Amino acid sequence: MWTYLRRRILQSALPLIAVVLGVFVLARLTGDPSKLYLPLNATDQMRADFAARNGFDKPIWEQMGDYFLGVLRLDFGESLRTGEPAADMALRAFPATLQLAAVTMVLAIIVAVVLGSWASLKPNGIADRIVSFFSMTAASVPDFWVAILGIWIFAITLGWLPTSGTSGPLVWILPIATLMLRPVGVLAQVVRGSMVTVMGQPYIKVARSRGAGEFHIVSKHALRNAAAPALTVAGDLAVGLVNGAVVVESIFGWPGIGKLMIDSILQRDFAVLQAAVLLTALAIFALNIVIDLGYALLDPRVRPTSGSRARRKGPGMISDTKAEELTNV
Amino acid sequence: MSDDNASTVTVLTHQARRNRTSGRAGLWQLLLKDKVATVAAVVLAFIILTAIVGPFLFGELAQRQDLGARNKPPFSFDLGWEYILGSDSLGRSLLARIIAAAGTTLGVAACAVVVAAIVGSIWGMWAGFHRGWRESVSMRIADVIMSFPSLLLAVVILYVFNPSAANIVLVLAITRIPLYLRTARADAAELRSRMFVDAATNFGAKQGAIVFRHIVPNVLPTLVTLATLEFCYVMLAESSLSFLGIGIQPPDVSWGLMVAQGRQYLAEAWWQSVLPGLAIVITTVSANILAAWLRLATDPGQRWRLQTKKRRRLIGSIAPRR
Amino acid sequence: MKLSSPRRRGTRAAAVTAGIASIALLASCSVANSEPQGGDGGGGTDETLRVVLPQEPPTLEACDANLTSTGVVVRSTVTEPLVERNPSTGELEPLLATEWEQTGDTEWTFSVREGVTFQDGTPFDAEAAAYSIDRAVNGDLGCNVEGYIFGDDDLVVEATDATTLTVTTPAPDPILPLKLSFIEIVSPETSNTEFVREPIGTGPYAIGEWEAGTKLTLDRNDDYWGDAPEFAAVEYQWRSEGTVRAAMITSGEADIALGLSAEDGIGDLGVSYPNNETIALRFSGQTAPLDDIRIRQAINYAIDREEIVSSLFPDGDKVAAQLIPEGIVGFNSELEPWPFDVEKATSLVEEAKADGVPVDTQITMPVRTAQFPKVSELGEVLREQLAAIGLNVDLRMVDTTQHLQYQLSPFVTNEGPIAMLVQHGNQAGDAQFTVEQYMLTGAAQAEFGDPGLDELINEARNLTDEERQVAYEDVFAYERENVVALAPIAHQTVMLGLSDRVQYEPNSSTGDELRIKEVTLAG
Repeated sequence: MWTYLRRRILQSALPLIAVVLGVFVLARLTGDPSKLYLPLNATDQMRADFAARNGFDKPIWEQMGDYFLGVLRLDFGESLRTGEPAADMALRAFPATLQLAAVTMVLAIIVAVVLGSWASLKPNGIADRIVSFFSMTAASVPDFWVAILGIWIFAITLGWLPTSGTSGPLVWILPIATLMLRPVGVLAQVVRGSMVTVMGQPYIKVARSRGAGEFHIVSKHALRNAAAPALTVAGDLAVGLVNGAVVVESIFGWPGIGKLMIDSILQRDFAVLQAAVLLTALAIFALNIVIDLGYALLDPRVRPTSGSRARRKGPGMISDTKAEELTNV
Repeated sequence: MSDDNASTVTVLTHQARRNRTSGRAGLWQLLLKDKVATVAAVVLAFIILTAIVGPFLFGELAQRQDLGARNKPPFSFDLGWEYILGSDSLGRSLLARIIAAAGTTLGVAACAVVVAAIVGSIWGMWAGFHRGWRESVSMRIADVIMSFPSLLLAVVILYVFNPSAANIVLVLAITRIPLYLRTARADAAELRSRMFVDAATNFGAKQGAIVFRHIVPNVLPTLVTLATLEFCYVMLAESSLSFLGIGIQPPDVSWGLMVAQGRQYLAEAWWQSVLPGLAIVITTVSANILAAWLRLATDPGQRWRLQTKKRRRLIGSIAPRR
Repeated sequence: MKLSSPRRRGTRAAAVTAGIASIALLASCSVANSEPQGGDGGGGTDETLRVVLPQEPPTLEACDANLTSTGVVVRSTVTEPLVERNPSTGELEPLLATEWEQTGDTEWTFSVREGVTFQDGTPFDAEAAAYSIDRAVNGDLGCNVEGYIFGDDDLVVEATDATTLTVTTPAPDPILPLKLSFIEIVSPETSNTEFVREPIGTGPYAIGEWEAGTKLTLDRNDDYWGDAPEFAAVEYQWRSEGTVRAAMITSGEADIALGLSAEDGIGDLGVSYPNNETIALRFSGQTAPLDDIRIRQAINYAIDREEIVSSLFPDGDKVAAQLIPEGIVGFNSELEPWPFDVEKATSLVEEAKADGVPVDTQITMPVRTAQFPKVSELGEVLREQLAAIGLNVDLRMVDTTQHLQYQLSPFVTNEGPIAMLVQHGNQAGDAQFTVEQYMLTGAAQAEFGDPGLDELINEARNLTDEERQVAYEDVFAYERENVVALAPIAHQTVMLGLSDRVQYEPNSSTGDELRIKEVTLAG
């Protein structure tokens, strides 16, 4: 297990560098930030000074080299906008987003599993239709629209919740509800789909005929086998959350890293942008490794010790070897 | 053999393929059997038709401003039939704008999904089939793209090059490729390791033939479902870009842009934001319903679910033999 | 098939419990990057004023205080200048200086107030004032106020005694005191080699705590030399959505909200007021077809200003005839706005076309997204109105940085003719700032110039009082007749949200400096 972990970490190093390099180059392609930061009357001399002070006059290879040398010293540069160290700003903003994303994802998984399983018990029955319709709609609404409507209805008209900000427990409700909609919608459908397939397998029938209760069947047998595709989708949704919380953070004034990224893009604050992207990329790579470990936990056949077989299974496909082995019992 | 429900793998023998082709006319009948899917298909067809024809018929009306008729609520017939859905902040007919925007929205979303699906799937199947270093490198590239903030890519592409619908399609496509890549690779890798591929190789089938005859038909249903879900996501992503001010730009119009612009008027003119949003929801829900039906219908191993009568579709019943 | 063993069941149950427990723990924790609040979320104590801004100040550095997002917090609240301009009357009022006079061609003498201390206890005297001015204007920091107000000029400041300060300018400058109203005086302990994020001044409030990203708190300065301000503390928060800012007022979460518009749902709690900003189209007069004055005039005739103001900006915006609003020195009250005359406009275009001017060339109109409410609607309306007279206009919505590429020299020269939407705010109260930015040949925002106009501008600079007023009036009149570098559209108003709890009279500079000492509790 540790060899596997070490191998994955090493494997992730190269893409990480690629991401940071990519951001570095792309950000600088967006043009000269001096007009934004210097006063209106700045002379050409002042612009030249600004460029020299921030290293923008050097060729891009040199800038990249300087930056990486700085990173090795843990110096990620300074914000053009505020003058603070970029790493500080990124590290300060990141936990807020992490909290939001983690709570949202956990709640979304629980809700989606419950809804999806319930729906799969009787395909095309009433429960199935309701859940399908609800989950499709939930995955189809624009998030900023829901956020603003939510504020309008619950905070202004009804007065039950605070409009925005970060104080008190109630303030979590609207942002999480908004962020949760799409994951629940997508995940519920995926869980339902793979549960339907799994529940049609012979070994389920066998378990039923041996007298196992429905709940036992669903939770102990079906869910475990249906989990793999759901895990893939959940992982992707989680990544999307970290990136896509920008909108929710902007509206609710949540001091997270999504808002920091979009602000630094719009303000051409390169150092902060690079630090924020680096941090996010690190988190995403870590998440991917955790997901892979999750697969291993769920399905012993996929454990790293058993060789290099396909690590991630497609949705709802159980290999015929298992089916054969079970029907022979 | 083709509807053995113990295994979801489909081995297409010559006999089965002939059966399949002759049964294609039966697809329509299959559709009509499922009322919900029929409704969804009709709605979707209507929307697509609107998207194709609408901009020509209503394009000009959608641009006609009338500052005296700003923010009129729906059913303001005193100003003309075109104000049945009200007017926007510049007095333009909301009905005309929604129709004209259908073309842009569906066009951008469909293009982005098609490009991402084709590129991602082919790449994924290639990587999954060959395994080895090809697979590793592809997965790492997928990781890189996925941890790349899609917004940064969008902003840069839109500022370095000219902001246009084509560039938005490019951005949205690139950021979604990894999903198809991973799914296709996983399926292809797993299928490849099954016995029937070894069998086919032993019989002398070429690699290309194996891929097309065996791998693709089995991966296709998954990808189709994925693509439809993605269609929905891309439409929403486009509206998020508009919210941030870097999506489709005025004077072009799209549903996402209308929702984003209308959000400033929620208190007094809610229809400007709600109605285009409703259009998005209706389109994506219909597409999803149809895709779920399609998945069952195009997978010979699952089709029985649609062919049996309702009460027989419960789990645990034995599939009827052909 | 194995049923799960009891041990596995137990492990799994433990895992689930751990999972739920950790969620609960996470959720009950306060949000990272913010401090937990004392008191309930809604009210706060009676003595804390809660303000919500459109964006977080990037810094509170006093020498960047002419930047709106910084100045709105700092100016006259944390720090104070020597003199302060009264926005309603336009007169300069004493603040940290009690008297001043011009004692030579290029010399001014100020008497500074006694008995004032900085928030860190350092006493305030002429030496301290000299230090601040030197730091902002002469230093190498690259202060924003230096570029905005003084350009390349350096001032020679000297404290001749504890309460007297002399300032010498390189050329005779009749409005030096007005310019000095932009220099916020900071403690002489402040570094002059680095920017200081949280300055120490003499104002009624000192910076308490700044939780970057979440909240900024100012505490009352009990040693303030003037009248004690009403509130014990001020809390600033920021929300980018106008609807959310308005919601905070109506739900009682904030007392003052800046940057609102009527559609945000503020209702009766909104107060509209003119804010010194004027919007206009600025032409690139060296590129065809905009190099032909007839086309520029045609554009002016084609814009239906009345309709725009009455339908898009009905809360008090006024049609503009020039780039400065009433109340600024140099405002020409005789100038009438361009009349709306589509026929005249079309005929001018036809005339130019007949003379071979390439009127079909695509004109780019860059408009900055979210610059002010309904800016994109305005862009679309302008595009329509210009298209109606036969011009080919391409509306481009761009972000701030891109917009600045078009706005400031060196301009964008490889995209053909540009007619861009600019918003100009004259905070200073004197036409010199506007005219020497937008009309003088070679100025930072002047795309092209006219020698006759330059002459008038150079003459006006050194005049005072009535002569000055008339000279600048002539400048605007001349520009209108002979140059047409711009198409002024409207003088803007902006809306403030005020809760029932407080009383405050907004004025034209509220958005640039919100003077907390002028806010009182209602009733």
